[in-house]
Amino acid sequence: MTRHIIRKEFSDLVRDGRFRWCSLLVGALLLVSLGHGWVQARQAQQERAAAQATARDHWESQGEKNPHSAAHYGVYVFKPRLALSFVDEGVDPYTGTSVWLEAHRQNDFLLRPAQDATAAQRIGALTAAQVLQHLVPLLIILLTFGALAGERENGTLRQLLATGVGRRELAWGKALGISGALALLLVPAAAVGAAALVVGSPGPAASPFARGTVLAVVYLGYFGAFLALSLAVSAWARSGRTALVVLLAVWVVNGLVAPRVAVDLSKWLHPTPSAFEFARTVEREMATGVEDILPPDRAASTERLLREYGVESVDELPVNDVGVYLQESEEFGNRIFDRNYGALWDAFERQGAVHEALAVIAPLLAVRTLSMALAGTDVEQHRHFATAAEEYRRDVMRRMNGDMAANSPSGDFSYTAGRELWEATPPLSYAAPTLGWVLGNRALSLLVLGGWLVGTILAAAARVRRAEVG
Amino acid sequence: MIWRTVLRNEWRLLMADRALRIALGLFALLLVYALVNGVVWTRFLERTVEAVQAGNTERADAIESELIDIANGGEPISPFADPRSPYVLGGPSASHTAVLDPGPLTALAVGQSDLLPYYYDVHIYTNESSSFQQNGEVENPLNLMVGRFDLAFVVVHLLPLLVLALSFNVLSEEREQGTLALTLSQPVSVRGIVAAKLAFRLSLVAGMALAISLAGALATGGFASPGRVLLWCATVVAYTIFWFALAAWVNSLKRSSAWNATVLVGAWLVLVVVLPASINIAAGLLHPLPSRVQMITAQREASNEVVNQRSELLARYLEDHPEMAEGVVADEQPQMGALIWAATDAVNSRLEEVTGEHDARRAEQIALVRRYRFLSPALLAQEVLIDAAGTGDARFASFQSQAKAFVEEWRQFFVPPILAGEQLSASVIPHLPKFRLEEEKAGDATRRATVPLIVLGGLLVIVGAGAGAGLGRVRGAD
Repeated sequence: MTRHIIRKEFSDLVRDGRFRWCSLLVGALLLVSLGHGWVQARQAQQERAAAQATARDHWESQGEKNPHSAAHYGVYVFKPRLALSFVDEGVDPYTGTSVWLEAHRQNDFLLRPAQDATAAQRIGALTAAQVLQHLVPLLIILLTFGALAGERENGTLRQLLATGVGRRELAWGKALGISGALALLLVPAAAVGAAALVVGSPGPAASPFARGTVLAVVYLGYFGAFLALSLAVSAWARSGRTALVVLLAVWVVNGLVAPRVAVDLSKWLHPTPSAFEFARTVEREMATGVEDILPPDRAASTERLLREYGVESVDELPVNDVGVYLQESEEFGNRIFDRNYGALWDAFERQGAVHEALAVIAPLLAVRTLSMALAGTDVEQHRHFATAAEEYRRDVMRRMNGDMAANSPSGDFSYTAGRELWEATPPLSYAAPTLGWVLGNRALSLLVLGGWLVGTILAAAARVRRAEVG
Repeated sequence: MIWRTVLRNEWRLLMADRALRIALGLFALLLVYALVNGVVWTRFLERTVEAVQAGNTERADAIESELIDIANGGEPISPFADPRSPYVLGGPSASHTAVLDPGPLTALAVGQSDLLPYYYDVHIYTNESSSFQQNGEVENPLNLMVGRFDLAFVVVHLLPLLVLALSFNVLSEEREQGTLALTLSQPVSVRGIVAAKLAFRLSLVAGMALAISLAGALATGGFASPGRVLLWCATVVAYTIFWFALAAWVNSLKRSSAWNATVLVGAWLVLVVVLPASINIAAGLLHPLPSRVQMITAQREASNEVVNQRSELLARYLEDHPEMAEGVVADEQPQMGALIWAATDAVNSRLEEVTGEHDARRAEQIALVRRYRFLSPALLAQEVLIDAAGTGDARFASFQSQAKAFVEEWRQFFVPPILAGEQLSASVIPHLPKFRLEEEKAGDATRRATVPLIVLGGLLVIVGAGAGAGLGRVRGAD
């Protein structure tokens, strides 16, 4: 019997002009956004890889100079686009693309693509993730709101139940029929997405296929929750119209209101300093130190070197005292940066957790978090790259100061190093985080999304059991 | 007379409908919440601007007292930073920060104010790559991506939904209940009835939105620019009328309430959600912005070139700037300071060239992209609203170009003493250049808004005419 219901529901939907048009529209938007995302991500990645190679070339061919001058010359690094970023560009337009690594200071990532765009472009770019998070649920609502409420309004529910069909069977039949119709839309899109990864991965990523699979499962869970919720409302509502109004209200709160409320709430619960305050604090702490982090004392540093090597004057030192002192001040600066940037990143992370927690009222927030995480375009993975870049900067500075300390006598400022040293400094090699790392950080969202799926299925079961026949 | 009856009847009906009461109450709540958010943000910006300006005064005072101290026989605080040297006095430690006050109606629309920089440190080393490529406020990228819950958001996205809920069945319900024929037996026209009903609802919705907007402007001093307040209100009203007119048109098609609801929600979805996003994707495909990544590389190469030819630079500099030559030529030996400055100046002008090319291409692309906004009333309304608030792209762009001009002014002040190898004293402090923001003229925002508003008005007229014609064909017997 369930088979008949599934078949009836499926063919009803496929024959329905409204469904055909809506699905066609959503399907077209999905394919266009996937294609555009892929082209654009590939282009951006190629460009960044090229810029990275040029930056390396600049570094290697900077000519003969003192290693500390080289440290000031520094090197630019560009953030790679990860493979799945074509599905979900996440916060990428709002994080910088490039950072200049130089002596003495940790710089911010600059060049946020959004800063170059217009205000209109902030209303939302069409990415596959946007279509999946906003438009597919809407399609599910349109397909499902009348499933039971409509049968009741038409008086066919009583007839159906009179034939001996169980309510549970009926609901399952409806759900599977609708899922079948949706599959016509989603399976090709998933196939296109997978094919895009095979044909040419836009960028590097740890295990793109594993990430892609989990991504698909996450979206299926989200759609399942919406389907179950719509069925529950359809079973509960007196009329199809009420069901539609309630479900649309849910959709508006889920997609439009809750995300922005989460922004305000997160800022209110975990305020961040203004850019001005932040810069001032770093400047002040760099000048005078803070708590037990104190700036190195040049005289004391030299004194210690003299004692260590058992010599009387700096001329007799086997190392360059300036090189040693420069490294000491690097390390002092690093502790100041860790303290301030660490606190800022932690605040961002806590703000992100507020967004995740609010997913209890809006599943979109959970699925959006997971989607960005799996695509490698969330704030945490930006931090992951920023940390790697900063580690690299510190390594380069250590090498430069170390070379100066070891290979030039104290008091000699005419010492120069050349290509050999620049080439011996390895380029930044960045490994994107593993799937386990990503999912481990996103346990809360996984839990909430799972909760939504189970909760809505239970609600649908309960509502269907108690559904009035007419 | 009959109008008064219709209006009174409408009021009773509305108050009797619990769902509509809840919807209206919720809307009022969201408006207030959005305004509170905007006011909190404005206060944050105001505090920062104040702190930035206080920093300017502090730095100037500190350096002045140091200079006076030195004149009285004291020593510079740091032997490497003698403030008498124009390099130090014009340099970062004595810099002047150019700052943009929050837009007059920031409390109503956060706009771009959370994304774009609103102050720049200006000193002799300020240039395209070090200073004008910077991030704005410290903000979680996630929050930037989502956007703020401000009045502009409520008006552009949520207000149409309330309008549709209030008016999708304005005529169809009368017909479905069989009261249409009865009503039309009175000496009234269908147009008149629908107009009266919608005018009543319009005054409720627009009235609430305007009341909260005006309260916000009052609370944050927005009435200092009455033109902007007026522009804001006009846009809110025009946008609201557009949605009511659309509802009237759909109602005039003589279909069921359910059909009307579906079509109107579909229209909202297309005009507010799908079209803007699709326009953005089309804009990205057809008019891609020039790459900043390539610009960084070009900037780097430009400054490398300059550094490699440092020795020839002074001669060329003096050729280009004969007015600066006096102090230098007086000496036989070109001075170190002049040489360094020549290199800095050469780097700056190469950077300006590279960045200028990039900016020009960007401006071209943006001009093309902006044409597409005429396709969506939501985009039109959003643009005019944030521009009226003073948080749109235009005001930030104008501030940036003023800041760049100020950099030039600052250089003009310090370069002659640098080239002449002069030392400065406390007497120059009162003459140091100060940044004064030239606010846009009252008419500027209005002028920019003219075309979008005309287009929005045009859409309104088309939809309204459709509604009028359709309603003229409705008979009581339908």
